[in-house]
Amino acid sequence: METKAKALLIDITKCIGCRSCEMKCKEAHGFSQEESVKLSATAFTIVEERAGGKFVRRMCQHCNEPACQSVCPVAAIEKTPEGPVIYHGKKCIGCRYCMIACPNQVPKYQWTKLAPYMQKCDMCYDRVRNGQPTICAEACPTGATIFGNRDELLKEARKRLDGDANYVQHIYGSTEFGGGSVFFLSDVPFEKLGFLVPKEEKPLPALSMAALGDVPTVTFVGGSLLAGLYWITQRRREVMLAEGKLKAEAKEERS
Amino acid sequence: MSRLLKQITFWRLVTAAIFAAGLYGSYVRFFVGWQASTHLSDAQPWGVWVGVGTLCGVALSAGGFAIAAAVYLLGMERYRPIVKAAVLISFLGYSTVCVGYLYELGLPWNMWHIFIYWNRHSVLFEVAGCVIMYTTVLTLEFAPNVIEKLPWVGLREAILHYHHKIVIALTLIGTVLSSLHQSFLGGLFLVMKDKIHPLWYSQYIHTMFYMSAIPAGLAVVIMVMYLSMRSLGAKLDYTIMTDLAKVIVPMLYIYGIFRFVDLVNNGGLPYAFRPTSEAAYFWMEILLLVVLPIVGFSTKRVLENPTALYATSAVLAMGVIANRVNVSITSLEWFTHANYVPSWIEMAMMIMCFAGAAIVFRFCVLHLNIFPRAKQPERWLNAPATA
Repeated sequence: METKAKALLIDITKCIGCRSCEMKCKEAHGFSQEESVKLSATAFTIVEERAGGKFVRRMCQHCNEPACQSVCPVAAIEKTPEGPVIYHGKKCIGCRYCMIACPNQVPKYQWTKLAPYMQKCDMCYDRVRNGQPTICAEACPTGATIFGNRDELLKEARKRLDGDANYVQHIYGSTEFGGGSVFFLSDVPFEKLGFLVPKEEKPLPALSMAALGDVPTVTFVGGSLLAGLYWITQRRREVMLAEGKLKAEAKEERS
Repeated sequence: MSRLLKQITFWRLVTAAIFAAGLYGSYVRFFVGWQASTHLSDAQPWGVWVGVGTLCGVALSAGGFAIAAAVYLLGMERYRPIVKAAVLISFLGYSTVCVGYLYELGLPWNMWHIFIYWNRHSVLFEVAGCVIMYTTVLTLEFAPNVIEKLPWVGLREAILHYHHKIVIALTLIGTVLSSLHQSFLGGLFLVMKDKIHPLWYSQYIHTMFYMSAIPAGLAVVIMVMYLSMRSLGAKLDYTIMTDLAKVIVPMLYIYGIFRFVDLVNNGGLPYAFRPTSEAAYFWMEILLLVVLPIVGFSTKRVLENPTALYATSAVLAMGVIANRVNVSITSLEWFTHANYVPSWIEMAMMIMCFAGAAIVFRFCVLHLNIFPRAKQPERWLNAPATA
């Protein structure tokens, strides 16, 4: 059976700020039911009130080419074919590079524990794998968050934009950082709502790969260059020795 | 009793205090928790243990590969008297960084995972691999200093004979490995294009880390030479320090010009003239890392005075520390609005690691032939006689 990439579509115009997604998510994970003001190791999604009384859900974008996955030295983060970006805590060494690399500041840490792990939304991977929607989508009473196949949701989003000129004509999350599995629609410009507008559309891992790609070149060219320089200095030394005027020794005697 | 009391000197008391604080801090870090021991948070997941401990620890230990390459590969015999000391500095620097990183990791007992779960897209994986390999190379480079003290002549000579044949290869491998990870420590930040302040982000940040690490490493060699001559009785030709300083100047010019051109290209320069704290930190960094050392090392009176050379090198080292802290902390706070100030335990642990390295260095200088035997000074008479 072919796995179809899933996604979430969040329509900010439909969100009433009831925080059902936040609460159901916390309930499913056994976290405290208090409202959170920011994402944390015990709050994988939150609802923030932003400019103009708009409610914005914060959560992992499940990027197609995640920065967190690319930077993890022990490959503990995986982008699944179903869409969710998941974390294998068993592999983790706790370097927290994923936290510092993520442009959306999504990965959070269990600072209160002696053996802390990174925590973030996994887009209900266990449910999604079995064909169920995410808990947040199921919890949403207004249809502001809907779950579905990625290509179909993109089509649906496009349809809504075409049918209503009030929308900002952009699907946030479809191109940002190379695109992801969580899309936002809004009638207020995204940057006014505090969304991060990337400096470049291309996926972030490409930025490190530009340098990492030079490793073989640096190793072989640099190594050969050094070996060549060594050969030259040795040869010069031999010649000078043969001619009986080794500068270095003369210098050493003087000092 | 009075002999025992005589053993208690001011610096020994300071050392004891450093270790008491550091060990207590270690206890809190590993057995009480992160929140009690550090001021790290979700907004500032990397603090001084990465920013200073790792980034600066490695950069300031760059002297070993630079001097070893100069002497063994490029035939600069001028620096042969200090090559062992430079390798020792690097060896201790890297060992300290490795130990310090165990504090920084959340799950240090999983550290060996780096050997089995590879991610070649991760700059940190490359850094870890290079640092592990280079620390091994440094151990091998430094080993003969210990081996030559072995009492078994046959074994000793056999090992040293064999070692002599591989020292060139070791130096070559070490130079390549150093070049890679010195730059990749900067490369760690390439992926954070949106989070790093424009005054510090550059697609060449790894190149600039490399360009600033070498002068920093050489500055530390100067400082260690000075301190060894002053308090460990090492008799060295101080004009080697002068020559090192003269080598540093063109390196800093190149770095400074590269940094300036890069800032212009990236459009970061205007930020330097805004009344922000980032701009202030930026100018402090440029002053310490580029301007003051170039002025100092170009002044005849400084070049002829070991103490002035030491002080200027210290300024340069502080400049590199400022640069690494700015990249890893200042520039991020601009994005996250975190307000991170290290906890006293974070500082105490780093100071303890540094003190530990200094103590081992002193021990090695006193008991091994780190500085050339021909110049072994009289003040070492109370140390064990050397073969």
